[in-house]
Amino acid sequence: MDKSAPEANGSVTRPLELIATMAADFASSRDLETTLSRAVARITRHLNAASGALFMLDETGEELRCHACYGETDITGLVLGAREGIVGRCVQGRRGEIVHDVNEDPGFYSGVDEQTGFTTRSILCAPLTVRDQCLGAIELVNKLSDDGKFSEGDLHLLQGLSSSAALAIVNARQSEALLKQERVNRELELAAEIQRSLLPRARPEPFPVHGLNLPAGVVSGDFYDFFELDDGRICFTLGDVSGKGINAALLMAKTASLYRALGKTIHEPGRLLAVINNEICETATRGMFVTMVGGVLDPGKNRVCLANAGHEPPLYQNGAGDFQALEAQAPPLGILRLDRADQALPEQQLSLEEGSLFLFSDGVTEGALEDGATFRVEGIKSLLTENACLPPADRLNAVVARLRRANKPLRDDVTLLVVRGRESIGEVTGEGLLRVNFPSRPHELRKVRWAVSRALASADCAEDEMRDMILAISEACQNIIRHAYHEDPNGEIVLELRRDGDRIIVLLRDFAATVDPSEIKGRELEQLQPGGLGVHLINEVMDETAFLPPPGNSGNLLRMIKRIGRKAS
Amino acid sequence: MRHEIRESEGAVVVSFEGDIDLDTSPAARKVLLDCVRRKRSVLVDMSRVTYIDSSGVASLVESFQNARNAGLRFGLVAVSETALRVLKLARLDLVFPIHATLEDGLAQISG
Repeated sequence: MDKSAPEANGSVTRPLELIATMAADFASSRDLETTLSRAVARITRHLNAASGALFMLDETGEELRCHACYGETDITGLVLGAREGIVGRCVQGRRGEIVHDVNEDPGFYSGVDEQTGFTTRSILCAPLTVRDQCLGAIELVNKLSDDGKFSEGDLHLLQGLSSSAALAIVNARQSEALLKQERVNRELELAAEIQRSLLPRARPEPFPVHGLNLPAGVVSGDFYDFFELDDGRICFTLGDVSGKGINAALLMAKTASLYRALGKTIHEPGRLLAVINNEICETATRGMFVTMVGGVLDPGKNRVCLANAGHEPPLYQNGAGDFQALEAQAPPLGILRLDRADQALPEQQLSLEEGSLFLFSDGVTEGALEDGATFRVEGIKSLLTENACLPPADRLNAVVARLRRANKPLRDDVTLLVVRGRESIGEVTGEGLLRVNFPSRPHELRKVRWAVSRALASADCAEDEMRDMILAISEACQNIIRHAYHEDPNGEIVLELRRDGDRIIVLLRDFAATVDPSEIKGRELEQLQPGGLGVHLINEVMDETAFLPPPGNSGNLLRMIKRIGRKAS
Repeated sequence: MRHEIRESEGAVVVSFEGDIDLDTSPAARKVLLDCVRRKRSVLVDMSRVTYIDSSGVASLVESFQNARNAGLRFGLVAVSETALRVLKLARLDLVFPIHATLEDGLAQISG
């Protein structure tokens, strides 16, 4: 019944068959332990040993554990020190060996025999190695041949079989780790999807608020949001949770949800951030905190009210292109509980004029450029200035494109938000010279003339041109007060002056009932009757006068144009 | 806007100073109509009028018409450049008798 005899003629194919069978088994199996058991059984039988066992080092490399065995005694689960016994020596030396008589080998560990009652005489042992890594060893005990001795051929064969088993183990471990990683990735993707759903939907122009978030990893610790209130005001926020990864992402989700829910009833950013602070304080862990800017835009007044809790100072860029940084006036959220429930963070008021307010996370300022330099606030400023003519959302995209050009992974989440000031009330060409809002009261006219004269003087208008335009503007305002608002003193008038080359463009907006331009006629000069004279004066002085369709289809929008720099007529 | 009324030989002289616009023209109108009611010729000194708009011009026109209907003379005196521009634009520079100085005006009216 000698099945081994590997040196015997005609048996050369049998080890190859064995290796092929084992390889196929390893490749097809999903259960490593079972496959290893089958392999140990096959090897033990093939090499004609009384028993066989497969030991693997644990994660620390301190212990050897029996994962599979074959023979009369089951030692599966048996644990040895990593240096104990013949198997320990084999693993440490990464060398296979034959021990013909264990009693003559001082390295033999008899403890197992004492436990099991088995008598070990000879041992054949080969390490499980893949490249530089040793995973454990396969040990066969007591050769069942007549002389009871393992041969050199047995050792060679066992080493070959061990190598293929070791490779199978490594592959199985790797694919298991991959599966686990895939599961984690899928979960992260789901988390990212939910995070993206927390961001507001982009709104087309002329909506004045636009945002952008680009996570450095799959999930983001940054967020932004904006939504409209019933009265037309727009709440907006941008925040950055300290730290990265899934814990930051979870706190981000919590803070963003709090903002969205509480922001609908608390419309003062200072109080809103104070309430969110206390909510975060109640449950925040591991010293995490949130830096956050919350604001409310009143599009009618073109004003922003802002609270900044420890966040990077937002940048306001006025119509002339100058920047102003709005420093934080409160610490980040989630650090210190405010004692009184009605306590509020300090607020800042900002008149947007024709400028824009930019909020951003430190992933932008600390972003890397292609030469390794850091983007910094100066980088943002110069890029916003370069792209000043683009629509607001495109200016944000230009910043992100610059950071992406470096072709390196982002260092941190990149988040930006812009709040655009009111654009011209009816004209896109030229530069703004003046923008004033005033009530429909005769008493205001002198102030308006004064403002107009200063604005026109700054535009290098000649004295007589200025005088004529002041007359036309004052007359047009007078018409609005008298004929559009019917002398109601609570109407609103918006006056805008722009200069486009040699043209001064005057825009006058009111919110009264729409006037039929065909009913507005100049006075017949032959008749010496008061009234209608204003329109005549305007027509005499200005080169073009027209009623334009008013924005929002309410009220009236009058545009008057005068070419300057010519000889006054 | 401020004003000053002087009874002079042959005419009532009213001087305005400042802006005559929608805000102040009702007051100017009242002053002018009062002067016309004195049944004397009226001279309006406009040397210190810094601005006049269509409502101010309308007050002048209305008072001028009232004076004419009452058989009285009504003239403008030393009209500032700003006010004259508006009168010219309104083509009223040929309607109102305009005198370079108060002396000229008084001489014309009494003459």
